[in-house]
Amino acid sequence: MAISVKVMRRPEPGQTSYLRAALKGMSITFKHMIRPGKVTLEYPEERPELSPRWRGTHVMETHADGRPKCVACGLCPTVCPANCIRLVGGEDDMGNRYPIVYEIDEFRCIFCGMCQEVCPVEAIHVGVHFENAEYNRDRFVYDLDRLMEQDHPPTLLWDPSDEASQ
Amino acid sequence: MAARTPAPEHVRLSIDGVELSVPRGTMILEAARSVGTLVPHYCYHPGLSSPAQCRLCLVELEGAPKLVPSCVTEVQEGQVVHTASEPALRMREGVLEFYLANHPLDCPICDQSGECKLQDYVFAEGRARGRSREPKRVFGRDDFGGDVLFYGDRCVMCTRCVRFMDEVAGDPRLTVVERGNRSVIDTFFDEGLDGSPYSGNIIDICPVGALVSKDFLHRVRAWDLEHTPSICASCSQGCNIEIHTRDNAVHRLRPRENMEVNGFWMCDYGRGRYGWMNRVDRIEEPVWAPGAEAAVRGWEEVTALLGSRLRGAARSGEPAAAVASPYASNEELAALHALLAGLGGGEILFRSPEAEREIPLPGFPKLVRRRDLTPNRTGAERLGMRRVGSSAGEGGLEELAGHRGTLIVLGDELGDVAGDFGAQASLYVYLGWHPPDGGALADAILPIATSAETEGSFTNHEGRVQHFRAALEAPGSARPASRVLGTLIAALDGNGVDMSGPPEAGAAAGADGGAGAPSARER
Repeated sequence: MAISVKVMRRPEPGQTSYLRAALKGMSITFKHMIRPGKVTLEYPEERPELSPRWRGTHVMETHADGRPKCVACGLCPTVCPANCIRLVGGEDDMGNRYPIVYEIDEFRCIFCGMCQEVCPVEAIHVGVHFENAEYNRDRFVYDLDRLMEQDHPPTLLWDPSDEASQ
Repeated sequence: MAARTPAPEHVRLSIDGVELSVPRGTMILEAARSVGTLVPHYCYHPGLSSPAQCRLCLVELEGAPKLVPSCVTEVQEGQVVHTASEPALRMREGVLEFYLANHPLDCPICDQSGECKLQDYVFAEGRARGRSREPKRVFGRDDFGGDVLFYGDRCVMCTRCVRFMDEVAGDPRLTVVERGNRSVIDTFFDEGLDGSPYSGNIIDICPVGALVSKDFLHRVRAWDLEHTPSICASCSQGCNIEIHTRDNAVHRLRPRENMEVNGFWMCDYGRGRYGWMNRVDRIEEPVWAPGAEAAVRGWEEVTALLGSRLRGAARSGEPAAAVASPYASNEELAALHALLAGLGGGEILFRSPEAEREIPLPGFPKLVRRRDLTPNRTGAERLGMRRVGSSAGEGGLEELAGHRGTLIVLGDELGDVAGDFGAQASLYVYLGWHPPDGGALADAILPIATSAETEGSFTNHEGRVQHFRAALEAPGSARPASRVLGTLIAALDGNGVDMSGPPEAGAAAGADGGAGAPSARER
C-alpha cells in the first residue's frame, strides 16, 4: 500500500479573523461566572455529600461488649483481589473463634467491597468516608483496634431504591 | 509370595453407561470409583467395614425394586447402575436435607470448612435453601482427650470414628449413645481417648468438622494449605504422609495412602512431631573458622578454602572419619560416603535414638511405630556406617575425640560431646541444621537443608526406598547436603569448585540408597 500525504489547507494569515471563535469561548466563560450551580465546595467548612454506596476505608462492627464481630473465618483474605488483609485466627477464653491479628493495608486496598460482600457475620465493612490523610505511611496499615474505632457509616453495597439489587 | 492366588473371576456391568469389568466381590461404589464416578458417601471408608447407614450412596439398579446402597452391594454380571439418575439424585437431595436439619452451618468457624464432605455434597447436589423451621438440637463441644475435640452438632453419625477405634485401633473407646436425632458419639470413660496411640486418625476420617484437632484448632483455613507428599521422619516405618504448609511453616501432617506401608493411617507420635521442621534456630550462613577474627563467610569463599584443605588431606594420607545422621537422606549419606572414599576411606559412625517399645496397630499389622525412631537407619547401615551410642542417641563418639585426621560431621547436633571434640583433628567440617553444641572448634560450619526442605529418599526398616519432596524453603543460604558434599567431592577431584551446578550435584556421587532396594511406590 502506497503511503500518501494528506495536505491540510489552512487559511493564510490575514485571510480570516479569529474574533468569532474568541467571542464564542468568552461567552462560555462568562456563562459560568453567572451560573448559579457552582461546583467549588468551601471544604472543610462545607462537606461533600457522599453516596450511601461510597466505598472508603473499612469499619469493623463490634458486639455490645466491645468484641469484634469477626469470627476469623478467613473468607475476606481469600476473596481479597489485592491481598491486603492479614488475618490470624484464634480462640478466646470463652471458646469463641476471633481474630488475633486483623490488619488491612489501606494503601494496597482497591476498595472493591468484596470483603464486605463475603463476610458471613457482617463484621467488616467498607465505609462512607474519604478523609484518610496521615503523617506517616505506616499508619495506613489499619489494625483491629483502629478498624473498630472507625465510626463512619458502613457502605450499602446495593442501591436502596432498587429492591432487586439487594 | 508362596502360593499363587488364582486370578479373580471378573464380572461385567455398566455404570452410568460405562461398560467395565471388575473382580467378583467388588462393591458397586468401588467399581464406580475405578471408572472415575464418585458416589457420595459418609459411612463407607476403604479401610473400614461398611454399615450402609449414611444412606447417601444409594444408586439406582435396574431391576431392583428400590435404590440400593452401593457401598455394600456386590457387582453382578450384567448389572446396569445409574448413579446420577433422577431417582438417585432426588434421594440424595432428600438425605442431605435431613443432614442439614440439625447441622449448625457454622462453616465460618469450623476447621473442616474447605475440606468438608457435607459442604461438597450439599453444594453439588443439595437444596439451595433449607425448609426446616424447627429449632436445631444443640450438644456443644466435648473434649475427647488426646488431640481430639468433638463438636456434636456437626456430626453426621457416619460412625467412622467408632468403627476405626473398634476395628483398626483395636481399642473400642467410642460409641453411639442415645437414639434418633439425639444420638451422639461419646466416650466410655473419663479418660476418653487419652493414651490411645492411633486416635488422631479419626480426625482425618471424619467427613465433617465433628472431630477436629486441638493442635490445629483455628490455625489455618484448609484451602490455604499446600500439600507436599513426603515420608514421616519420626520412626523407621516410613509412613507416607502429606506435609501441609502455609507461609513456609508446617501446620499439620496427614497420612497418605500406601497399602504396602501404612494403609490410610499414621500414629499420633509421628503426627505430632513436626516442630523440628519449623525450628528457627538454624545455621544460615557458611563460615570458615567461626569465632576467629578472620572468619570467612559465603559459599564460594568457604568451599574454595575447604577444597584446598581437603586436597591436602587426601595427599597426606591421614585417616578420615565422619559422624553421620540417620535423619539425612540416602543421597546425602551416599555423598558423605563418597567424600570419605575420596579422602582415602574412613569409618562413618552415627547415633540414633530408640524407643522402649513398638506401638503396633492391630487392625493393620504392617503399620507399627518402630523402636527405631529415625527414618533412615537402614540406609546408613547399608552404606556401611556403624551405629554407636546408647538407645537415647547419646554417647559413643568418645572414640573420635582424639581423632587426628579429617573429621566430618553431617547433621548430628553433638549435644553431649566433650568441649574439646575435634580439637585434635587436622580439619573439622560441620554440616548441619542447627548450631551445634560440640561444634565450637569446627574449621568450617556449613548450613544444610532439612529433609522437609529438600528432595531425597529414606530407606525404611524393611529396605523400601521412598522418595520425599521439599515442602519448605531452606532458611538463609542453606543448601541440600548432597549438593554441598557433591561440590566438595568435585573440589577434591580437582574439578574446581562449581557452586553454580544444579542441586542434583550430589547425584553424580553415586547417590543410591542400597543396591537392589525396591523402588519407591507413591500413591
